[in-house]
Amino acid sequence: MRSNSEDRELEVADRRTANGSPFAARLLTRIMMVALAVWFIVELYPVIFLINTSLKTDSEILSTPFALPTAFNFGNYVRVWVGEGANNKPIALYLRNSIAVTVATLALLLAVSSLAGYALARGRFPGSAATQQTFLLCLAVPVHVLIIPVFFMMDRFGLRNDLLGLSLMYTTMGVPFTVLLMRAYFLSFPVEMEEAAQIDGCSRFGVFWRVVVPVSRNAIASMAIINVSWVWSELFFALVLMDRSEAQTMPLAVIAYAPKAMMGESTIGPQFAAMVTAAMPLILVYFLFQRQITKGMTMGAIR
Amino acid sequence: MARGTASVESGNGSREERGQNSPLSPHSSPPGPRLGSRLARWWNREGIWYLFLAPAVLLLLVFLAYPLADSLVLSFYKWKGLGARKFVGLDNFERLLDDRFFWGATWHTLVFALVVTLGTVGIGYLLATVISRRVFGSGVYRVGFYLPVMLSVVVVAALWVRIYEFNWGLLNTVLRAIGLDVLALPWLADVKYALAAVIVVPIWQYAGFPMIVTLAAIEGIPQDLHDAATIDGVSEWQRTWRLIFPLVRPVVASISILQIIFSLKVFDLVWVMTKGSPGNSTAVLGTFLFRQGFETQKYGYASAVAVVMFLIVFTLTYLYQRLVKFDAVEF
Repeated sequence: MRSNSEDRELEVADRRTANGSPFAARLLTRIMMVALAVWFIVELYPVIFLINTSLKTDSEILSTPFALPTAFNFGNYVRVWVGEGANNKPIALYLRNSIAVTVATLALLLAVSSLAGYALARGRFPGSAATQQTFLLCLAVPVHVLIIPVFFMMDRFGLRNDLLGLSLMYTTMGVPFTVLLMRAYFLSFPVEMEEAAQIDGCSRFGVFWRVVVPVSRNAIASMAIINVSWVWSELFFALVLMDRSEAQTMPLAVIAYAPKAMMGESTIGPQFAAMVTAAMPLILVYFLFQRQITKGMTMGAIR
Repeated sequence: MARGTASVESGNGSREERGQNSPLSPHSSPPGPRLGSRLARWWNREGIWYLFLAPAVLLLLVFLAYPLADSLVLSFYKWKGLGARKFVGLDNFERLLDDRFFWGATWHTLVFALVVTLGTVGIGYLLATVISRRVFGSGVYRVGFYLPVMLSVVVVAALWVRIYEFNWGLLNTVLRAIGLDVLALPWLADVKYALAAVIVVPIWQYAGFPMIVTLAAIEGIPQDLHDAATIDGVSEWQRTWRLIFPLVRPVVASISILQIIFSLKVFDLVWVMTKGSPGNSTAVLGTFLFRQGFETQKYGYASAVAVVMFLIVFTLTYLYQRLVKFDAVEF
């Protein structure tokens, strides 16, 4: 692997010098390098600005937007932590709700999807092809169009402003995609291992639970990582189903802490603190599991 | 209202029961000796798979199939959320055809989807071709360009509201600093620029996504092809456009369709940045649906919007699925 990539690098260097007029080639390379660096700044500066601004006082934000904070000022974080503003709850509450919804959704989603994905990959039963087609069709449904019936159904079941209701909805939204990816994974899983377990007297479920799941830990973890970013960020259903602030999730906290016109611009800082708090978990996940994420996204796109 | 939904509900309920009972009943009924062994065999080979599928199917029936059907039904009714639903036939759809705000929202959605797709895929492709040449720091670029993709749309939208802010926002501060005061506009408050200003944001956020996918495709090109091209003495320009581009074109096509589908569903971004204002100049189908439903309580009318949105996105996604298939993957 390593030597292969080194070979390629040499190869690329060879190619670069071998052909075309060297001056034009070098100029083009220079231009590309500059363009790349400029775009890099364009991409990353707003993120730095976000974190930088959250550490400044309100007057600093307005007078010197580019400067680093004169002193690291965690005042904004304190302000959102205690819950500033007329009807804003402390951010810990939103954070707790988001964590609860995300954990519940991922646990349900992975359990439900790995069972179904396994059945689609291994099962030969009447309707297996049709079931798989159905999952594909479900993937094509834009979930936004479900909102009105879902709202009234949750209302009737008493699941509005309920973290469980939101988690069930999110699980459903994730099921088609995750089931199909799990199926694709289980297709590449060695059947021999399962057959051996079955000969030893394991039931179907026993095989699944004792053999397949332990060996597939990595794949299942990857599914969790792929799904965590949209579950954590989902706004539409949270906005409609969670109108009491005790039950709201982090995206709604970002909106709740938006500066209010009547209070002037002295409330800019807290929103930045709320935004950083909302973004940090995903940034952390990204840096920890960067390989799995980019691989999962690539897979999802070329599926 | 109660009667209308109750009948749909009970129909749905019985379907669920059937779905659940058929795999369960052979198991729970006391089996006779010979019949029993046959049943047990059937159960082991086929029946148990239905039980594996049951939780997923149940969720999809309750939280996807039923709401979808109810949306369709509701689009033929007039309903304020309380009281009885009143059947009005195709009235809602006829009114949609005459509603210039609906056409405005549809137009904005299409413009948004097309420009965002061209922008992200175009920039992403260029980035991928440059980075794939293993330029200095390509690892850092790869990680950095994908970082904004991981941020919540809500965070990104709120951040860009601050960047576009008229008095002290980053953009206008920069413009004023370099002497371009005339260009320091109220970006999100002006009917002429608001949509363009909104469209820039997802291009900024998502360019890294096509980049990662295209990069994977470019790196998947077998080395022999590069070697053959080198022996033939191609220039770098020819290599980029005559060798690499045709080979990754299927991937670029599929990512483009995916990006269009994804962009047609836009809601979060517009909602946080402008809520469709000023003067509905940034309203998209998602925000139009939300406002008709949850702000003016015209649930039947909003459902008609949902049906139109469903048809557009579903058709596109279905076509896309016919083009691309799920295959076995490894982690």
